[in-house]
Amino acid sequence: MKQLLHARWIIAWTVLWTGAGTAFCAPLPTSTPVDSATLASPSEGVFGFMGGITHSSYLFGDLWGLRPWLNHYGISLSIQETSEVLGNATGGLQQGADYEGLTTGDLQLDTGGAFGLPGGTLNVSGLFIHGTNLSAQNLDDLQTASGIEADDGVRVWEVWYDQKFYDSYGTSPVDIKIGQESLDQEFMISTNALYFVNTMFGWPMVPSADLPGGGPAYPLSALGARLQWKPANALKILAGVFNGSPAPTSGDDPQQADEYGLSFPLNGGLLAIAELQFTYPALGDLAVSSTPLSGTYRLGFWYDSENFADERYDDEGLSLANPTSDGNPQLHPGDYSVYGVVDQKLWISKKDTNRSLSFFARAMWAPEDRNLIDFSANAGFVLKDPFAYRTDDILGIGMGYAHVSSAVAGLAADTALYNPGTFSPQPSGETMIEATYQLFVFPWFTLQPDAQYVFNPGGGIANPDAPGQLLGDELVLGIRGTIVF
Amino acid sequence: MNRRHTIRNKKSVRNGNMQLARFAASILLTGALLVAPGFAGPAGGGFLETIHHYVSVASTIPDNGDVNPYAVVVAPVSAGAIRRGDVLVDNFNGMSNLQGTGTTIMDYRPSTKEVNVFAVLPRRIPQCPVGVGLTTAMTMLKSGWVIVGSAPSTDGTTKTLGAGCLFVLDPNGRLVSVWTGPTIDAPWGNMAVIDNGDSAYLFISMAGFDVPGPDVVDPKTGYPPILHKATVLRLKLSIPAGQPPEVVDQTVIGSGFAQRADKDSFLVGPTGLVLSPDGQTLYVTDSAANQIVAISDPATRDDSAGIGRVVTHGGLLAGPLAMTMTPEGHLLVCNGKDGRAVEVDPETGAQLAAKWIDPDEAQSPPGNGDLFGLALSEDGKRLYYVQDDTNTLMEAVP
Repeated sequence: MKQLLHARWIIAWTVLWTGAGTAFCAPLPTSTPVDSATLASPSEGVFGFMGGITHSSYLFGDLWGLRPWLNHYGISLSIQETSEVLGNATGGLQQGADYEGLTTGDLQLDTGGAFGLPGGTLNVSGLFIHGTNLSAQNLDDLQTASGIEADDGVRVWEVWYDQKFYDSYGTSPVDIKIGQESLDQEFMISTNALYFVNTMFGWPMVPSADLPGGGPAYPLSALGARLQWKPANALKILAGVFNGSPAPTSGDDPQQADEYGLSFPLNGGLLAIAELQFTYPALGDLAVSSTPLSGTYRLGFWYDSENFADERYDDEGLSLANPTSDGNPQLHPGDYSVYGVVDQKLWISKKDTNRSLSFFARAMWAPEDRNLIDFSANAGFVLKDPFAYRTDDILGIGMGYAHVSSAVAGLAADTALYNPGTFSPQPSGETMIEATYQLFVFPWFTLQPDAQYVFNPGGGIANPDAPGQLLGDELVLGIRGTIVF
Repeated sequence: MNRRHTIRNKKSVRNGNMQLARFAASILLTGALLVAPGFAGPAGGGFLETIHHYVSVASTIPDNGDVNPYAVVVAPVSAGAIRRGDVLVDNFNGMSNLQGTGTTIMDYRPSTKEVNVFAVLPRRIPQCPVGVGLTTAMTMLKSGWVIVGSAPSTDGTTKTLGAGCLFVLDPNGRLVSVWTGPTIDAPWGNMAVIDNGDSAYLFISMAGFDVPGPDVVDPKTGYPPILHKATVLRLKLSIPAGQPPEVVDQTVIGSGFAQRADKDSFLVGPTGLVLSPDGQTLYVTDSAANQIVAISDPATRDDSAGIGRVVTHGGLLAGPLAMTMTPEGHLLVCNGKDGRAVEVDPETGAQLAAKWIDPDEAQSPPGNGDLFGLALSEDGKRLYYVQDDTNTLMEAVP
């Protein structure tokens, strides 16, 4: 028995000295002198980017040295391709699928890095839009199916300079941006809604339908200036004035009227817009919860001083459908809208804090007499990290609603009244729902299968190919891919 | 003042009743933190209550485009290109955002508000196989030498993780020697140092040791497996005048720390190391276990304490990373999984307060993955930290 105990002690000590006691046995680290003058970074070669292709943020890495070369001068370059195939299986003008693509290039110069002026950013971006527009060809709906849909072409998008102003502590509560700006990049944004494909989760229905040229939003922009002021860490005020229309002429297709985005028109009225944002948590907030449910709330207002045509009556007060009308619509001085946006986290998984459920809602109103759409709304839920260890994937379910103003419906009723026998349905509202999944393949590559269903397309409009019938409800299916070069 | 904290801390370990009482007090305090809206910290306050302004002081991107700043070190002396009080920041990622490929160290000078490149290492160094990926394991000695760890990868993940090494640079940013050996494997967390001028002790966490690639998952959980092979290594250095430091002794004083690969965060393991003012206790953030632990007698023990004893766990902590100590003797740690800094009384384990120092809504929860290194200014009044999302060095001031 004693021998057995003795053997156990030997075994125990052996384990202790060879296992847990690595330090006792392991040799000291070797110190190797290095002559740094003899060292040089090897060339990565033409295909060097392949080495990190599964985890690089860019498909082509440093673009064969272009990115670091530009970085030396304070310039950053971003090139991204969004390509998609969307098709409608039911409803609309016709069924079928189309390809649509968008290449975005963006150059930013940091004036601090370039020539020592702190807080300045010069930005120039351009678009190459290619493919076919499904919503125009097949759907004829209000809430167009894809946020990248636009006329084919190459155009300058944004050209602006932003300057930060610093307080005595060195923080920058104020910055001013001047130049050609696209307002969908800063105003009316719901961060959760941006994951969806349908256009109206980005730049919403009310300004798209009601502002001249659809407003200064993709693929358009307008000259102006905007102030950003943070009176407190939780509060931000955005306010800007811009040319009243992104197009140099009214009435025409605004994209055709400014084919390359180089017209820089200043002949419109004035578009003034302001937005108040409240965010929780804010920088410097003391934390009171182990699982913070963050949120951002936005309230905004815009006013455009251009003249807006009445949707129903002429300048004599007659219906525009009245055969005796002179056809000149009554003009209203100015148009305006108020809006609110909510992004609120509802739940964070305790087991995996990357997994969270968020809610978003956005609603806006505009007067009914001078606008096609007098109310629009979006709402939905976004689940991040929906499956185990799919940290960067996103599952979203959302809806959009666009209400056609009673003036437009009234004109349709008048048309029916003055043209007996003509099928002139009174449009009401269009509702769409979308389910989407953003699949993170590589940091530079995402795939996004998408499904949308549109109830009452156009708010209930006549189908030109089926006399006496409305456009049928539309099921839109497709997939989007995004590549960062 | 600081000394008393640690002495009482040691007593609390030995006195069961006191420990129970303090545990109950910490529960009550933590409970108050969790339920009281507008909670402003305990009477007497802590460091976090004293800071009110958050200034972006410098971009941490050098000409070569390296990103993802990790280590933050305040220079203790002037030597070579470095002035006392300068803030050294290294980058873990190369320009393509591949983790474990960053080769640069920046130097921010608060007096002039200028930022310059202190060192650019080659992407490949034969003495340190695989490559170069500079980590949070960085320090500057009073003798002017800068020592920085490397946990290199070639594809941006732990699939190609090399054991790495420790680099020794002179105060002009020139690489002079490389330390490698079986106890050095992905030197990871911010170093704790006892610096006597001609000799020094370094305390470094090693988070490598067989960590697989991030695509290897445990079929039961669907997540990468958690290993328990990470260590805390003590290196004893001899620093002859005018000569680079040499390792003369080593001891693994902590072992069995949790570590795992992650496709977003690269590697999760023990990351923050700080000594009590009397040097009798080493505090370590055990990130993968969401806790802070304490190892006693770190400078003198000749064995491993395992992972030590738990000081605080969960609560406001969310994957705690780099750690430092306030003048009051509180632990200050930044979260990896949200944008908060958390202040902890090491004596009681009470989580005194947490403050949002990066509430970026682009991540979920806000600031998730943005924070890493942090350090206090010499006067102990200003906090330097990095924001990985914007690649900036921040300064939080009263």
